[in-house]
Amino acid sequence: MKKKRWLTIVLTAILILGSLFLLQKLLMPKYVADVVEGAFIAEYYQEEKNHDVVFIGDCEVYENFSPITLWQEYGINSYIRGSAQQLIWQSYYLLEDTLRYETPQVVVFNVLSMKYNEPQKEAYNRMSIEGMKWSMSKVKSIQASMTSRENFLDYVFPILRYHSRWSQLTEDDLKYMFQTKQVSHNGYYMRVDVKAAGEIPEGKPLADYQFGENAYTYLDKMTALCKEKGIQLILIKAPSLYPYWYDEWEAQIEQYAEDNDLLYINYLELVDEVGIDFTQDTYDAGLHMNLSGAEKLSHSFGQILSEEVQVPNRSGEAHLQEIWKEKIAAYEAEKQEQFTKYSK
Amino acid sequence: MKKKMLGMLLIVGLLCVAGCGSDAKGSDAVNVQGSSVVADQNDTQKEAQADGYVFVYKKTTITVNGDMAPVAEALGEPTSYFEAASCAFDGLDKIYTYGPIVVETYPEGNKDLVSAIIVKDDSVTTPEKVTIGSSKQEMLDAYGKDYTEEAGMFVYKKGSMKLQFIVKDDVVTSIQYSSTAVFE
Repeated sequence: MKKKRWLTIVLTAILILGSLFLLQKLLMPKYVADVVEGAFIAEYYQEEKNHDVVFIGDCEVYENFSPITLWQEYGINSYIRGSAQQLIWQSYYLLEDTLRYETPQVVVFNVLSMKYNEPQKEAYNRMSIEGMKWSMSKVKSIQASMTSRENFLDYVFPILRYHSRWSQLTEDDLKYMFQTKQVSHNGYYMRVDVKAAGEIPEGKPLADYQFGENAYTYLDKMTALCKEKGIQLILIKAPSLYPYWYDEWEAQIEQYAEDNDLLYINYLELVDEVGIDFTQDTYDAGLHMNLSGAEKLSHSFGQILSEEVQVPNRSGEAHLQEIWKEKIAAYEAEKQEQFTKYSK
Repeated sequence: MKKKMLGMLLIVGLLCVAGCGSDAKGSDAVNVQGSSVVADQNDTQKEAQADGYVFVYKKTTITVNGDMAPVAEALGEPTSYFEAASCAFDGLDKIYTYGPIVVETYPEGNKDLVSAIIVKDDSVTTPEKVTIGSSKQEMLDAYGKDYTEEAGMFVYKKGSMKLQFIVKDDVVTSIQYSSTAVFE
Protein backbone atom coordinates (compact mmCIF):
# COMPACT_ATOMS: atom_id res chain seq x y z
CA MET A 1 0.00 0.00 0.00
CA LYS A 2 2.83 2.32 1.04
CA LYS A 3 4.76 1.38 -2.11
CA LYS A 4 1.74 2.23 -4.25
CA ARG A 5 1.45 5.62 -2.57
CA TRP A 6 5.08 6.45 -3.29
CA LEU A 7 4.66 5.35 -6.87
CA THR A 8 1.70 7.70 -7.20
CA ILE A 9 3.70 10.61 -5.80
CA VAL A 10 6.65 9.94 -8.10
CA LEU A 11 4.46 9.53 -11.18
CA THR A 12 2.55 12.72 -10.35
CA ALA A 13 5.79 14.64 -9.88
CA ILE A 14 7.14 13.34 -13.19
CA LEU A 15 3.91 14.28 -14.93
CA ILE A 16 3.92 17.81 -13.51
CA LEU A 17 7.59 18.46 -14.15
CA GLY A 18 7.32 16.96 -17.63
CA SER A 19 4.35 19.18 -18.43
CA LEU A 20 6.14 22.27 -17.21
CA PHE A 21 9.27 21.33 -19.18
CA LEU A 22 7.26 20.89 -22.37
CA LEU A 23 5.37 24.13 -21.76
CA GLN A 24 8.63 25.98 -21.23
CA LYS A 25 10.08 24.53 -24.43
CA LEU A 26 6.98 25.58 -26.32
CA LEU A 27 6.76 29.09 -24.90
CA MET A 28 10.39 30.18 -25.13
CA PRO A 29 11.19 32.38 -28.18
CA LYS A 30 12.81 30.38 -30.99
CA TYR A 31 14.55 33.27 -32.79
CA VAL A 32 14.25 31.65 -36.22
CA ALA A 33 12.09 34.17 -38.08
CA ASP A 34 12.41 37.97 -38.10
CA VAL A 35 14.63 38.46 -35.07
CA VAL A 36 17.29 35.79 -35.26
CA GLU A 37 19.94 37.46 -33.11
CA GLY A 38 18.70 35.74 -29.96
CA ALA A 39 19.81 32.39 -31.37
CA PHE A 40 23.49 33.24 -31.92
CA ILE A 41 24.87 32.47 -28.48
CA ALA A 42 23.43 28.94 -28.36
CA GLU A 43 24.58 28.05 -31.88
CA TYR A 44 28.21 27.99 -30.77
CA TYR A 45 27.71 24.78 -28.79
CA GLN A 46 26.94 22.84 -31.99
CA GLU A 47 30.36 23.70 -33.41
CA GLU A 48 33.57 21.73 -33.41
CA LYS A 49 35.62 23.86 -31.07
CA ASN A 50 39.15 24.34 -32.25
CA HIS A 51 39.01 27.92 -33.48
CA ASP A 52 42.13 30.04 -33.73
CA VAL A 53 40.26 33.33 -33.48
CA VAL A 54 37.13 34.07 -31.42
CA PHE A 55 35.34 37.41 -31.61
CA ILE A 56 33.26 38.64 -28.69
CA GLY A 57 31.08 41.71 -28.52
CA ASP A 58 27.95 43.40 -29.75
CA CYS A 59 26.42 43.89 -33.19
CA GLU A 60 29.61 45.62 -34.29
CA VAL A 61 31.25 42.19 -34.46
CA TYR A 62 28.47 39.91 -35.65
CA GLU A 63 27.36 42.22 -38.45
CA ASN A 64 30.75 43.51 -39.56
CA PHE A 65 33.08 40.52 -39.82
CA SER A 66 32.63 37.40 -41.90
CA PRO A 67 34.42 34.23 -40.69
CA ILE A 68 33.69 32.75 -44.12
CA THR A 69 35.88 35.38 -45.78
CA LEU A 70 38.59 34.84 -43.17
CA TRP A 71 38.59 31.14 -44.03
CA GLN A 72 38.35 31.55 -47.79
CA GLU A 73 41.09 34.15 -48.05
CA TYR A 74 43.43 33.26 -45.19
CA GLY A 75 42.48 29.79 -43.98
CA ILE A 76 41.64 31.29 -40.57
CA ASN A 77 39.31 29.17 -38.47
CA SER A 78 37.23 31.67 -36.52
CA TYR A 79 33.93 32.12 -34.71
CA ILE A 80 31.93 35.14 -33.53
CA ARG A 81 30.29 34.94 -30.10
CA GLY A 82 28.31 38.10 -30.58
CA SER A 83 24.86 39.23 -29.48
CA ALA A 84 22.77 42.38 -29.64
CA GLN A 85 23.90 45.05 -27.18
CA GLN A 86 26.29 42.60 -25.55
CA LEU A 87 27.55 44.38 -22.45
CA ILE A 88 31.20 44.05 -21.45
CA TRP A 89 30.52 41.82 -18.45
CA GLN A 90 28.49 39.55 -20.73
CA SER A 91 31.44 39.47 -23.15
CA TYR A 92 33.75 38.58 -20.29
CA TYR A 93 31.57 35.73 -19.07
CA LEU A 94 31.10 34.50 -22.64
CA LEU A 95 34.87 34.44 -22.92
CA GLU A 96 35.08 32.41 -19.70
CA ASP A 97 32.40 30.10 -21.10
CA THR A 98 34.26 29.73 -24.41
CA LEU A 99 37.46 28.82 -22.60
CA ARG A 100 35.69 25.85 -21.05
CA TYR A 101 35.70 24.32 -24.52
CA GLU A 102 38.73 25.72 -26.34
CA THR A 103 41.67 28.09 -26.08
CA PRO A 104 42.00 30.16 -29.24
CA GLN A 105 45.20 31.92 -30.21
CA VAL A 106 43.41 35.26 -30.51
CA VAL A 107 40.36 36.87 -28.91
CA VAL A 108 38.97 39.97 -30.59
CA PHE A 109 36.84 42.36 -28.53
CA ASN A 110 34.90 45.32 -29.92
CA VAL A 111 35.18 48.25 -27.51
CA LEU A 112 31.88 50.10 -28.10
CA SER A 113 30.31 48.42 -25.06
CA MET A 114 32.76 50.25 -22.80
CA LYS A 115 30.22 53.07 -22.91
CA TYR A 116 27.86 51.09 -20.69
CA ASN A 117 28.69 50.86 -17.02
CA GLU A 118 25.48 49.33 -15.73
CA PRO A 119 22.72 46.94 -16.81
CA GLN A 120 20.55 48.32 -19.61
CA LYS A 121 17.61 46.34 -20.90
CA GLU A 122 16.16 42.96 -20.07
CA ALA A 123 15.26 42.07 -23.64
CA TYR A 124 18.90 42.35 -24.70
CA ASN A 125 20.11 40.57 -21.57
CA ARG A 126 17.93 37.62 -22.48
CA MET A 127 19.34 37.41 -25.99
CA SER A 128 22.91 37.46 -24.68
CA ILE A 129 22.48 35.13 -21.73
CA GLU A 130 19.67 32.64 -22.27
CA GLY A 131 21.52 30.77 -24.99
CA MET A 132 24.49 30.05 -22.73
CA LYS A 133 24.81 26.58 -21.28
CA TRP A 134 24.53 26.51 -17.52
CA SER A 135 27.81 27.12 -15.72
CA MET A 136 29.11 29.52 -13.08
CA SER A 137 29.92 31.90 -15.95
CA LYS A 138 26.24 32.03 -16.88
CA VAL A 139 25.21 32.52 -13.26
CA LYS A 140 27.67 35.40 -12.86
CA SER A 141 26.61 36.91 -16.17
CA ILE A 142 22.98 36.93 -15.02
CA GLN A 143 23.92 38.48 -11.69
CA ALA A 144 25.99 41.18 -13.37
CA SER A 145 23.37 41.94 -16.01
CA MET A 146 20.02 42.01 -14.21
CA THR A 147 18.16 45.30 -14.17
CA SER A 148 16.30 46.29 -11.01
CA ARG A 149 13.09 44.73 -12.35
CA GLU A 150 14.55 41.32 -13.13
CA ASN A 151 14.73 38.18 -11.01
CA PHE A 152 17.36 35.47 -11.11
CA LEU A 153 14.70 32.76 -10.92
CA ASP A 154 13.18 33.99 -14.19
CA TYR A 155 16.40 32.96 -15.91
CA VAL A 156 16.43 29.57 -14.20
CA PHE A 157 12.79 28.95 -15.08
CA PRO A 158 12.16 31.05 -18.22
CA ILE A 159 8.52 29.89 -18.23
CA LEU A 160 7.97 32.42 -15.44
CA ARG A 161 8.83 35.16 -17.92
CA TYR A 162 7.43 33.76 -21.12
CA HIS A 163 4.10 32.31 -20.00
CA SER A 164 2.24 35.21 -21.63
CA ARG A 165 3.50 34.09 -25.05
CA TRP A 166 0.76 31.48 -25.27
CA SER A 167 -1.40 33.85 -27.30
CA GLN A 168 1.42 34.63 -29.77
CA LEU A 169 2.57 31.10 -30.57
CA THR A 170 3.19 30.28 -34.21
CA GLU A 171 3.91 27.11 -36.15
CA ASP A 172 7.62 27.76 -35.63
CA ASP A 173 7.20 27.38 -31.88
CA LEU A 174 6.10 23.79 -32.40
CA LYS A 175 8.47 23.07 -35.25
CA TYR A 176 11.56 24.27 -33.39
CA MET A 177 10.56 23.18 -29.92
CA PHE A 178 13.47 20.76 -29.55
CA GLN A 179 15.80 21.49 -32.41
CA THR A 180 16.38 24.89 -33.90
CA LYS A 181 17.74 25.83 -37.31
CA GLN A 182 21.08 27.48 -38.05
CA VAL A 183 20.61 31.22 -38.46
CA SER A 184 24.18 32.56 -38.48
CA HIS A 185 27.38 31.77 -40.34
CA ASN A 186 29.81 31.04 -37.48
CA GLY A 187 28.12 33.86 -35.60
CA TYR A 188 27.98 36.25 -38.59
CA TYR A 189 24.61 37.83 -39.38
CA MET A 190 24.29 38.35 -43.12
CA ARG A 191 22.52 41.24 -44.83
CA VAL A 192 23.02 41.98 -48.51
CA ASP A 193 20.71 44.97 -48.96
CA VAL A 194 21.98 48.53 -49.26
CA LYS A 195 20.92 51.71 -47.51
CA ALA A 196 23.50 54.45 -47.95
CA ALA A 197 24.70 56.48 -45.00
CA GLY A 198 23.54 60.07 -44.94
CA GLU A 199 24.10 62.79 -42.42
CA ILE A 200 25.19 61.30 -39.10
CA PRO A 201 24.12 63.18 -35.97
CA GLU A 202 26.88 64.47 -33.75
CA GLY A 203 27.20 63.03 -30.27
CA LYS A 204 25.25 64.48 -27.37
CA PRO A 205 27.35 66.45 -24.89
CA LEU A 206 28.23 64.23 -21.92
CA ALA A 207 29.00 65.39 -18.40
CA ASP A 208 31.76 62.84 -18.08
CA TYR A 209 33.54 61.13 -20.94
CA GLN A 210 35.41 58.76 -18.67
CA PHE A 211 34.42 55.11 -19.13
CA GLY A 212 32.87 53.71 -15.95
CA GLU A 213 34.72 51.82 -13.27
CA ASN A 214 32.64 48.70 -13.76
CA ALA A 215 33.38 48.65 -17.49
CA TYR A 216 37.09 49.00 -16.81
CA THR A 217 36.95 46.23 -14.21
CA TYR A 218 35.66 43.78 -16.80
CA LEU A 219 38.12 44.95 -19.44
CA ASP A 220 40.88 44.34 -16.90
CA LYS A 221 39.46 40.89 -16.15
CA MET A 222 39.33 40.10 -19.86
CA THR A 223 42.92 41.24 -20.33
CA ALA A 224 44.09 39.25 -17.31
CA LEU A 225 42.25 36.09 -18.35
CA CYS A 226 43.70 36.23 -21.85
CA LYS A 227 47.20 36.76 -20.47
CA GLU A 228 46.77 33.86 -18.05
CA LYS A 229 45.69 31.55 -20.87
CA GLY A 230 48.35 32.76 -23.33
CA ILE A 231 45.74 34.30 -25.65
CA GLN A 232 46.44 37.47 -27.62
CA LEU A 233 43.65 39.96 -26.96
CA ILE A 234 42.99 42.40 -29.80
CA LEU A 235 40.77 45.43 -29.27
CA ILE A 236 38.86 46.79 -32.21
CA LYS A 237 36.41 49.56 -32.95
CA ALA A 238 34.33 48.58 -35.95
CA PRO A 239 33.75 51.26 -38.61
CA SER A 240 30.12 51.83 -37.59
CA LEU A 241 29.28 55.53 -37.88
CA TYR A 242 26.61 55.47 -35.20
CA PRO A 243 26.38 55.30 -32.16
CA TYR A 244 28.84 58.18 -31.96
CA TRP A 245 32.38 57.30 -30.90
CA TYR A 246 33.81 60.27 -28.98
CA ASP A 247 37.44 61.37 -29.28
CA GLU A 248 37.68 61.19 -25.49
CA TRP A 249 36.68 57.51 -25.62
CA GLU A 250 39.19 56.85 -28.35
CA ALA A 251 41.97 58.39 -26.25
CA GLN A 252 41.11 56.15 -23.29
CA ILE A 253 41.17 52.97 -25.36
CA GLU A 254 44.43 53.93 -27.03
CA GLN A 255 45.95 54.55 -23.60
CA TYR A 256 44.59 51.27 -22.23
CA ALA A 257 45.98 49.34 -25.19
CA GLU A 258 49.36 50.98 -24.74
CA ASP A 259 49.44 50.37 -20.99
CA ASN A 260 48.54 46.71 -21.45
CA ASP A 261 50.56 46.06 -24.57
CA LEU A 262 47.50 45.21 -26.65
CA LEU A 263 46.92 45.64 -30.36
CA TYR A 264 44.09 48.15 -30.91
CA ILE A 265 42.62 48.89 -34.33
CA ASN A 266 40.08 51.65 -34.82
CA TYR A 267 38.52 50.94 -38.20
CA LEU A 268 36.73 54.30 -38.17
CA GLU A 269 40.15 55.74 -38.96
CA LEU A 270 40.82 53.18 -41.69
CA VAL A 271 37.64 53.45 -43.74
CA ASP A 272 39.45 54.61 -46.89
CA GLU A 273 42.30 52.16 -46.46
CA VAL A 274 39.86 49.25 -46.14
CA GLY A 275 37.88 50.56 -49.10
CA ILE A 276 34.55 50.93 -47.36
CA ASP A 277 32.08 52.95 -49.37
CA PHE A 278 29.23 54.07 -47.15
CA THR A 279 26.95 54.51 -50.13
CA GLN A 280 27.27 50.78 -50.92
CA ASP A 281 28.64 48.84 -47.96
CA THR A 282 25.99 49.36 -45.31
CA TYR A 283 22.39 48.20 -45.08
CA ASP A 284 21.23 50.62 -42.41
CA ALA A 285 22.78 53.99 -43.17
CA GLY A 286 26.16 53.40 -41.56
CA LEU A 287 25.35 51.51 -38.38
CA HIS A 288 26.37 48.12 -39.69
CA MET A 289 28.09 46.72 -42.75
CA ASN A 290 26.19 44.71 -45.31
CA LEU A 291 27.80 41.63 -46.84
CA SER A 292 29.97 43.69 -49.17
CA GLY A 293 31.24 45.83 -46.29
CA ALA A 294 31.76 42.87 -43.96
CA GLU A 295 33.79 41.03 -46.60
CA LYS A 296 35.98 44.10 -47.22
CA LEU A 297 36.55 44.51 -43.50
CA SER A 298 37.32 40.82 -43.06
CA HIS A 299 39.75 40.94 -45.96
CA SER A 300 41.61 43.76 -44.24
CA PHE A 301 41.50 42.29 -40.74
CA GLY A 302 42.43 38.84 -42.02
CA GLN A 303 45.61 40.29 -43.48
CA ILE A 304 46.57 41.65 -40.04
CA LEU A 305 45.68 38.38 -38.32
CA SER A 306 47.61 36.42 -40.87
CA GLU A 307 50.71 38.57 -41.30
CA GLU A 308 51.14 40.50 -38.05
CA VAL A 309 49.58 38.14 -35.54
CA GLN A 310 50.70 34.97 -37.34
CA VAL A 311 47.38 33.16 -37.13
CA PRO A 312 47.97 29.93 -39.04
CA ASN A 313 46.50 29.16 -42.44
CA ARG A 314 44.68 25.87 -41.90
CA SER A 315 43.13 25.61 -45.34
CA GLY A 316 45.22 22.48 -45.98
CA GLU A 317 43.58 20.48 -43.19
CA ALA A 318 41.21 17.99 -44.82
CA HIS A 319 38.91 17.78 -41.81
CA LEU A 320 38.44 21.56 -41.71
CA GLN A 321 38.04 21.68 -45.49
CA GLU A 322 35.03 19.40 -45.14
CA ILE A 323 33.48 21.49 -42.38
CA TRP A 324 34.00 24.79 -44.20
CA LYS A 325 32.78 23.39 -47.51
CA GLU A 326 29.39 22.91 -45.92
CA LYS A 327 29.48 26.33 -44.28
CA ILE A 328 30.41 28.06 -47.53
CA ALA A 329 27.55 26.32 -49.31
CA ALA A 330 25.09 27.59 -46.70
CA TYR A 331 26.61 31.08 -46.93
CA GLU A 332 26.32 31.16 -50.72
CA ALA A 333 22.78 29.83 -50.60
CA GLU A 334 21.68 32.54 -48.18
CA LYS A 335 23.50 35.16 -50.21
CA GLN A 336 21.54 34.17 -53.32
CA GLU A 337 18.30 33.96 -51.37
CA GLN A 338 18.79 37.47 -49.98
CA PHE A 339 19.84 38.94 -53.33
CA THR A 340 16.65 37.55 -54.81
CA LYS A 341 14.58 38.86 -51.90
CA TYR A 342 16.03 42.39 -51.92
CA SER A 343 16.12 42.79 -55.69
CA LYS A 344 12.32 42.45 -55.86
CA MET B 1 -5.36 8.20 -7.32
CA LYS B 2 -6.72 9.50 -10.60
CA LYS B 3 -8.51 12.27 -8.72
CA LYS B 4 -5.28 13.33 -7.01
CA MET B 5 -3.36 13.42 -10.27
CA LEU B 6 -6.13 15.34 -11.95
CA GLY B 7 -6.08 17.77 -9.05
CA MET B 8 -2.35 18.36 -9.38
CA LEU B 9 -2.67 18.95 -13.13
CA LEU B 10 -5.46 21.42 -12.45
CA ILE B 11 -3.22 23.28 -10.01
CA VAL B 12 -0.45 23.51 -12.64
CA GLY B 13 -2.94 24.77 -15.20
CA LEU B 14 -4.36 27.34 -12.79
CA LEU B 15 -0.88 28.57 -11.92
CA CYS B 16 -0.18 29.15 -15.61
CA VAL B 17 -3.49 30.90 -16.17
CA ALA B 18 -2.99 33.03 -13.06
CA GLY B 19 0.44 34.03 -14.29
CA CYS B 20 -0.92 34.93 -17.69
CA GLY B 21 -3.61 36.97 -16.04
CA SER B 22 -1.14 39.05 -14.09
CA ASP B 23 0.88 39.75 -17.22
CA ALA B 24 -2.09 41.16 -19.00
CA LYS B 25 -1.89 44.15 -16.65
CA GLY B 26 1.45 44.97 -18.20
CA SER B 27 3.18 45.81 -14.94
CA ASP B 28 6.52 44.26 -15.70
CA ALA B 29 5.68 41.85 -18.45
CA VAL B 30 7.96 40.70 -21.20
CA ASN B 31 5.99 40.74 -24.40
CA VAL B 32 7.11 38.67 -27.29
CA GLN B 33 6.57 40.02 -30.75
CA GLY B 34 7.29 37.33 -33.30
CA SER B 35 10.32 35.82 -31.68
CA SER B 36 11.64 38.95 -30.01
CA VAL B 37 11.32 40.00 -26.43
CA VAL B 38 10.38 43.54 -25.62
CA ALA B 39 9.91 45.10 -22.20
CA ASP B 40 6.45 46.50 -21.71
CA GLN B 41 6.37 50.24 -21.11
CA ASN B 42 2.74 51.13 -21.64
CA ASP B 43 2.24 52.37 -18.10
CA THR B 44 5.39 54.46 -18.23
CA GLN B 45 4.09 56.58 -21.11
CA LYS B 46 0.96 57.62 -19.23
CA GLU B 47 2.95 58.25 -16.07
CA ALA B 48 5.54 60.43 -17.83
CA GLN B 49 3.00 62.45 -19.70
CA ALA B 50 1.26 63.20 -16.46
CA ASP B 51 4.11 64.64 -14.46
CA GLY B 52 7.35 65.14 -16.40
CA TYR B 53 9.01 68.42 -17.38
CA VAL B 54 8.04 69.42 -20.92
CA PHE B 55 9.78 71.55 -23.54
CA VAL B 56 7.99 74.04 -25.77
CA TYR B 57 9.35 74.95 -29.20
CA LYS B 58 7.44 77.19 -31.62
CA LYS B 59 4.35 76.87 -29.45
CA THR B 60 4.51 73.07 -29.70
CA THR B 61 4.76 71.15 -26.45
CA ILE B 62 7.15 68.22 -26.57
CA THR B 63 6.77 65.62 -23.83
CA VAL B 64 9.33 62.95 -23.04
CA ASN B 65 7.70 59.54 -23.61
CA GLY B 66 4.91 61.33 -25.46
CA ASP B 67 3.81 60.63 -29.03
CA MET B 68 6.09 62.21 -31.68
CA ALA B 69 3.46 62.24 -34.45
CA PRO B 70 1.67 65.46 -33.43
CA VAL B 71 5.02 67.14 -32.75
CA ALA B 72 6.38 66.24 -36.19
CA GLU B 73 3.18 67.43 -37.79
CA ALA B 74 3.24 70.75 -35.95
CA LEU B 75 6.92 71.48 -36.52
CA GLY B 76 6.97 70.47 -40.17
CA GLU B 77 10.09 69.53 -42.13
CA PRO B 78 13.07 69.02 -39.80
CA THR B 79 16.44 70.62 -40.50
CA SER B 80 17.87 67.12 -40.60
CA TYR B 81 16.60 63.63 -39.93
CA PHE B 82 18.38 60.38 -39.09
CA GLU B 83 17.03 56.96 -38.31
CA ALA B 84 18.79 54.05 -36.69
CA ALA B 85 17.50 50.52 -36.58
CA SER B 86 17.44 49.12 -33.06
CA CYS B 87 19.85 46.20 -32.82
CA ALA B 88 17.82 43.04 -33.35
CA PHE B 89 14.40 44.55 -32.76
CA ASP B 90 11.91 45.88 -35.25
CA GLY B 91 11.41 49.60 -35.35
CA LEU B 92 13.67 52.60 -35.67
CA ASP B 93 15.17 55.08 -33.26
CA LYS B 94 14.68 58.43 -35.01
CA ILE B 95 16.54 61.69 -34.57
CA TYR B 96 14.89 64.94 -35.72
CA THR B 97 16.80 68.21 -35.68
CA TYR B 98 14.68 71.37 -35.65
CA GLY B 99 17.11 74.28 -35.68
CA PRO B 100 18.34 74.63 -32.09
CA ILE B 101 16.79 71.43 -30.72
CA VAL B 102 17.18 67.72 -31.37
CA VAL B 103 14.32 65.32 -30.65
CA GLU B 104 15.02 61.59 -30.43
CA THR B 105 12.37 58.90 -30.46
CA TYR B 106 12.04 55.20 -29.76
CA PRO B 107 9.48 52.77 -31.17
CA GLU B 108 6.64 51.60 -28.94
CA GLY B 109 4.00 49.49 -30.65
CA ASN B 110 3.02 51.40 -33.76
CA LYS B 111 4.03 54.77 -32.31
CA ASP B 112 7.28 56.69 -31.97
CA LEU B 113 7.67 58.12 -28.49
CA VAL B 114 10.07 60.88 -27.54
CA SER B 115 13.15 59.52 -25.80
CA ALA B 116 15.15 62.74 -25.58
CA ILE B 117 15.12 66.45 -26.29
CA ILE B 118 18.49 68.16 -26.56
CA VAL B 119 18.89 71.92 -26.54
CA LYS B 120 21.79 72.94 -28.77
CA ASP B 121 22.16 76.68 -28.26
CA ASP B 122 20.93 79.75 -26.43
CA SER B 123 18.29 80.75 -28.97
CA VAL B 124 15.69 78.76 -27.05
CA THR B 125 14.89 78.52 -23.35
CA THR B 126 13.10 75.97 -21.24
CA PRO B 127 9.58 76.92 -20.08
CA GLU B 128 11.25 77.70 -16.74
CA LYS B 129 13.47 80.28 -18.52
CA VAL B 130 16.82 78.49 -18.41
CA THR B 131 19.04 78.30 -21.48
CA ILE B 132 22.56 77.40 -22.54
CA GLY B 133 24.69 80.09 -20.90
CA SER B 134 22.40 80.57 -17.89
CA SER B 135 24.18 80.62 -14.57
CA LYS B 136 24.01 77.74 -12.12
CA GLN B 137 22.12 80.05 -9.75
CA GLU B 138 19.49 80.74 -12.41
CA MET B 139 19.08 77.00 -12.87
CA LEU B 140 18.69 76.50 -9.12
CA ASP B 141 16.21 79.37 -8.88
CA ALA B 142 14.13 77.83 -11.66
CA TYR B 143 14.27 74.16 -10.69
CA GLY B 144 15.14 74.14 -7.01
CA LYS B 145 17.53 71.96 -5.09
CA ASP B 146 15.84 68.59 -5.49
CA TYR B 147 18.52 67.28 -7.85
CA THR B 148 21.24 64.67 -7.92
CA GLU B 149 24.68 65.69 -9.07
CA GLU B 150 27.19 63.54 -10.85
CA ALA B 151 30.38 64.81 -12.46
CA GLY B 152 29.02 68.27 -13.09
CA MET B 153 25.63 67.05 -14.30
CA PHE B 154 22.57 68.16 -12.35
CA VAL B 155 19.69 65.75 -12.75
CA TYR B 156 16.07 66.54 -11.89
CA LYS B 157 13.97 63.37 -12.03
CA LYS B 158 10.23 63.50 -12.49
CA GLY B 159 8.10 60.44 -13.26
CA SER B 160 9.80 58.43 -15.97
CA MET B 161 11.87 61.30 -17.33
CA LYS B 162 14.82 63.33 -16.19
CA LEU B 163 16.02 66.82 -17.00
CA GLN B 164 19.79 67.09 -17.07
CA PHE B 165 21.99 70.18 -16.99
CA ILE B 166 25.71 70.06 -17.54
CA VAL B 167 27.29 72.92 -15.62
CA LYS B 168 30.88 74.00 -16.18
CA ASP B 169 32.42 76.93 -14.32
CA ASP B 170 28.95 77.78 -12.95
CA VAL B 171 27.49 78.09 -16.45
CA VAL B 172 24.91 75.76 -18.01
CA THR B 173 26.55 74.22 -21.10
CA SER B 174 24.04 71.51 -21.98
CA ILE B 175 20.32 70.85 -21.43
CA GLN B 176 18.83 67.42 -22.12
CA TYR B 177 15.44 65.92 -21.38
CA SER B 178 15.59 62.11 -21.34
CA SER B 179 13.31 59.18 -20.83
CA THR B 180 14.15 56.75 -18.10
CA ALA B 181 11.79 54.24 -19.69
CA VAL B 182 13.96 53.49 -22.72
CA PHE B 183 16.25 51.28 -20.71
CA GLU B 184 15.12 48.25 -18.65
